[in-house]
Amino acid sequence: MFFFIFVFNANSESYVKAGKSLVWDSENKSYTAHGNVEFKNDKFIAFADKMIANYIEEKNDEVFTIIELFDNVVIKFKEETFKGNYAIYTRDDNIIKLIGNVSIESSTRLLTGNELIADIDNNKRILNSADKESLVEVLLEDNANN
Amino acid sequence: MINYFNKKTINIFIIIIFGIQLYIYFVNKKPLTENFSQKTITVENFSSIVLSNSGITKVGSEKLNKIDDDNIYLEGKSYLENKEYKIYGKNISINISKEISNSNEPVEVINKMGILKAQGFKNQDYDGKIFFSGEVEFVINK
Repeated sequence: MFFFIFVFNANSESYVKAGKSLVWDSENKSYTAHGNVEFKNDKFIAFADKMIANYIEEKNDEVFTIIELFDNVVIKFKEETFKGNYAIYTRDDNIIKLIGNVSIESSTRLLTGNELIADIDNNKRILNSADKESLVEVLLEDNANN
Repeated sequence: MINYFNKKTINIFIIIIFGIQLYIYFVNKKPLTENFSQKTITVENFSSIVLSNSGITKVGSEKLNKIDDDNIYLEGKSYLENKEYKIYGKNISINISKEISNSNEPVEVINKMGILKAQGFKNQDYDGKIFFSGEVEFVINK
């Protein structure tokens, strides 16, 4: 029982890892990481070449509000993998937006486009193609059954 | 005649001695000042408070070496602490006038967000930026 509790806690750990460098700018309240960046929070795990994370002070703690990921972006959320050239996550609305050579991959499908908006709270994905004329909206099974 | 020559010899001798003394005085005075200012001061198990534009920073180390009026070197296990962070490392150089500290040794930083580990750092206190080098791991508080 204790083992499972420990495993659960270890998996829920939030972190930032960088292969080259990390800059903490306390005046502009941001962290900039370079080189094989890995970011994990309680929602998803993300990989990219570069990351800029903005934070605010909240009840004597500091929390990330906006995460920007640059180049070779891969975000794993539950059973899905999002890929793109650039991504931005906003904590307030729990939305991940990816731009440029975007793909969304799950065990049953692979969709590609130019822009992906993943609404985590509402379990909704909007995928836009490059020509901006066609739009694909995918409702996942959990939400579709409701 | 003999007395006249004796007096003259004595006067010349006194003037020469006085001249030698003046020479010794001026030659000795200059090097003494230089030696004093270049002297390195070393203190063991040191801790102190540094006041700067960015606030109060507490510093400490196993051994402090004062390089000159602006530069100190914290040898061995060392730390820097202020209201925003605690930096624990080894062999940290500090330029007090420029408000810069740095080290190429592994470092651990604790701040309000979590615990960060890196292979080195450069802290530009004057503009609130800390550059961490090498592999960096920042574990965020829950």
